[in-house]
Amino acid sequence: MEAKPFGLVFFPAFDWAISPTHPERQERLLYTRDQIVEEGLLDLPGIREYRPRLAAIADAERVHIGVPDIASLITDAHLVSAGGAITAAEAVLRGEVARAFALVRPPGHHAMRVVHGTRGFCTINIEAVMIEYLRRHHGIRRVAVVDTDVHHGDGTQDIFYHDPDTLFISFHQDGRTLYPGTGFTDEAGGPAAFGATLNLPLPPGTTDEGLHYVLDELILPVLEEFQPELVINSAGQDNHYSDPLAGMAITAQGYARLADKLKADIAVLEGGYSIEDALPYVNTGIILAMAGLDYSKVVEPDLPRVSRGMDAGMKGWLEKLVADQRDLWRQRERLGREAAARAGDFWQRRRNIYYDDSGISEQQRETLRLCPACNGFLTIASEAEGRDCGRKSVLAGVILKNSCPVCRRQAYDTVHKAKKLGAFQHYIIQDKDNDLYERI
Amino acid sequence: MLLGIDVGGTFTDAVIVGGGRVLAKAKAPTTQPRLLDGVLAALDAALAGCHPAGLKRVALSTTIVTNTVVEGKADRPRLLLMSGPGLAVTGLVPAEPYILSGYVDHRGREVVSPAAAQVEAVCSGFAADEVFAVAGKFAVRNPGPELKVAQWLERYARPAHVTMGAALSGSLNFVRRANSAYYNAAVWRQFGRFAAAVREALAGRGITAPVYILKADGGTMPLDAAGERPVETVFTGPAASVLGVQAVAAPAGEALSLDIGGTTTDIALWQDGRPLFAGRGARIEGYPTAVRSFWVKSVGVGGDSHVRREAGQLAVGPGRLGPAMAAGGPAPTVSDAVIAAGRAAFGDRSKAVEAMRQVAAPGKSPADTAEEVLAAAAAKICAAVRQMIEERAAEPVYRVEDIVSGVRPHPRTVVGVGGAAGALAPLVAAQLGLACDVPADATVANAIGAALARPTLEITLRADTAQGYYTVAELGLRAALDDRRLSLADAETLAARHLADRASQAGIAARDVETVFAEEFSLVRGFATTGKIISCRLQIKPGVCSGPDEEGA
Repeated sequence: MEAKPFGLVFFPAFDWAISPTHPERQERLLYTRDQIVEEGLLDLPGIREYRPRLAAIADAERVHIGVPDIASLITDAHLVSAGGAITAAEAVLRGEVARAFALVRPPGHHAMRVVHGTRGFCTINIEAVMIEYLRRHHGIRRVAVVDTDVHHGDGTQDIFYHDPDTLFISFHQDGRTLYPGTGFTDEAGGPAAFGATLNLPLPPGTTDEGLHYVLDELILPVLEEFQPELVINSAGQDNHYSDPLAGMAITAQGYARLADKLKADIAVLEGGYSIEDALPYVNTGIILAMAGLDYSKVVEPDLPRVSRGMDAGMKGWLEKLVADQRDLWRQRERLGREAAARAGDFWQRRRNIYYDDSGISEQQRETLRLCPACNGFLTIASEAEGRDCGRKSVLAGVILKNSCPVCRRQAYDTVHKAKKLGAFQHYIIQDKDNDLYERI
Repeated sequence: MLLGIDVGGTFTDAVIVGGGRVLAKAKAPTTQPRLLDGVLAALDAALAGCHPAGLKRVALSTTIVTNTVVEGKADRPRLLLMSGPGLAVTGLVPAEPYILSGYVDHRGREVVSPAAAQVEAVCSGFAADEVFAVAGKFAVRNPGPELKVAQWLERYARPAHVTMGAALSGSLNFVRRANSAYYNAAVWRQFGRFAAAVREALAGRGITAPVYILKADGGTMPLDAAGERPVETVFTGPAASVLGVQAVAAPAGEALSLDIGGTTTDIALWQDGRPLFAGRGARIEGYPTAVRSFWVKSVGVGGDSHVRREAGQLAVGPGRLGPAMAAGGPAPTVSDAVIAAGRAAFGDRSKAVEAMRQVAAPGKSPADTAEEVLAAAAAKICAAVRQMIEERAAEPVYRVEDIVSGVRPHPRTVVGVGGAAGALAPLVAAQLGLACDVPADATVANAIGAALARPTLEITLRADTAQGYYTVAELGLRAALDDRRLSLADAETLAARHLADRASQAGIAARDVETVFAEEFSLVRGFATTGKIISCRLQIKPGVCSGPDEEGA
């Protein structure tokens, strides 16, 4: 029997930019298109190209709470890139292709559950929209997301922070040295999903050898143990040595071997802004590796200037990181029980979230009801102020999967009570069990 | 008067067209392997009673390139590639390539230069008078290294011919250009012999009119110019039939054309009165090439398609066992159904009825069976049409606007040409709920298409204003830009000038130039715009001559 082909959804959005000189501009995937077409990759019998579908607003509202609403915050381009991720995933689930890569823009991994605007070039989280679509329409439950972007995937982490069925692993340049400044080892998931978030902050300058050490020693064994139905790769490419926005030292070969070992069912492009010197080669490498083809000849023209080894300092950092996170992973159930015991009936966190592209500051209070009978519900109170949007606020109740009748009623009561007090502009119920998004 | 000849799989058709009418038509069996015999037989029959001096032009659509390859008469060119880093190409090209150093990146920068000494060393094992194909990755962005290697080959190998990939196509796709170059070099010698024989035979008949040859993209080129680019004349049968549809029916708006021949039906989609082109290029021996062609889908249903029952189910085609039983053939065919149903009258009707009796379901009359056969044949064509529409609708696009607006074809009319069109095209149209048009002269539409096909040429210009140069791959040109503020309109003007030059060199009138592709990107480095990358492709519009003055061209 002939091996199944590999699916590619390529959508460079040649008519869309955040602004004319923004890194997310028309030119971003131009050289990648040139390389893919010039290599003849789309003619290979092992590669099948798909046209992306448009996602619906309802697909985004299954994940996000938009203020004032999702439709007014996004453009059609966002629905195409989210739709492209869904197209890629459905090609895999229909069995037409063995795996697929949604090489699409705009990206999504900095978009959190509540959306006031655009942050880190992201407005809606295209992987999360895809995952929740697959859960709704294809009966998928256990999913692992491995975020290989140089920036911490704080949006994806936020969305799945209380979901024990989604394992989120992110490696990234240490948050003390790079946007968004999060992704430390102590961010490990809410008490009901402790250990299902694993952060791996890497030292600036991490090389292929360093990265593959972490991959081999921690990420792959954890994935093996978690046994997900699907592995999703948030395939940012800005760990590349030439990326202008970060300071890592990964090569196209490093990324291609990563894709080869990870064997993600679906990869979705995230960041990567070395549009000429990295993206053409990294994308070609990832495509060939995912398609099971020879990627050994994919090398950057200026490769000789890059070190690929690991010095003692890097080795020490990575060995400690791997040891610490292995411990956390092994003890996650006990640590989760302890965190729940400390929290009592309600677990709460307060955060300030900045939307760098929109110039919006958000203050958020997130409260999780720790219910002995079910996954509970979330109450999110969010107020934001921005240069263009003025003041915006929302109070949302999020009824989590497999909720009990008591929690469902409490979630509705909480939102209705708040509305009577009238401190917020918008009141929303997002019901994961019934796939409902309701304005109160 | 214009003379058109189309060499088909079974028959060679010749027509003489003048004043917008078909003045003479003739058919002769296609002769394998000596194609020219059949061509001349059809030509002589059509010309009987005409004076050759009245001919203004002879246009030929042949299968010489395909024949050369299929019969194993092609040369085996030495394939020299500068593939640089990227995909490993071995196995994707028809011969074991010689990989040369030398590498151009996506911006057309020569990262590593090719080395004369390496080419010299490679050539030491070659005899004189061989044929060569040279192709470099991103050579369309910088043809210099291909030109250098070709020059070194002239010096070190004394070749009969060298084809360069970027000279054949200005489009990205290194593997396709390499394959195009390979097959161009492979058929170069045989094509040259064929062209010489054509010239000699025409001269012997006192025909002095210029001779053109049809290309897969529906244009023609002078026979002399074709000598350097013979690969472009591959698969001209579908091109001739599409042009024939244009000449005899001129479908307006969105349409669907069917050329229903002996064993296959060629389907094409039309938009704004023009046939759609294939997204990429034709395949030769399974290898993808950069040869542009109309988007034509062949389905194995035609007049001679074998009809039988398999486990109670009626089956039509794709095989052919011979002509219709009505015409003395061995087994039931679609044409027998046409005759038995009373939709056409040729051959021995009683044998057609007998054919239907052989494939009738229990208790069914030959007449009912004939209708069942025709419906089944039409259904097969309809299925292929629907699939084609789905493929078109699913074609990837790279702009948000194109996703949101969508491009789903909605044909309004079915135009049928070819021998079995009269009976089958209306059934297909009825099943699809569309109007149907089977024009007069439908049976020789392909030869009419060849007779009236316009000469075409294309040119691809890419300007990189940040680096201050532009390239025209087909001309092997890389030149400095006088003005770095070049706009897309300026680039199109510049391209039009090069196209006019190229046309005049090839002896073609540069009328009806159109832009078929244009793209413009701003380059931003460090939050400042540093230039533009502008690409455009212009062509002399393919199509059919429309008036008497054009017939003189």
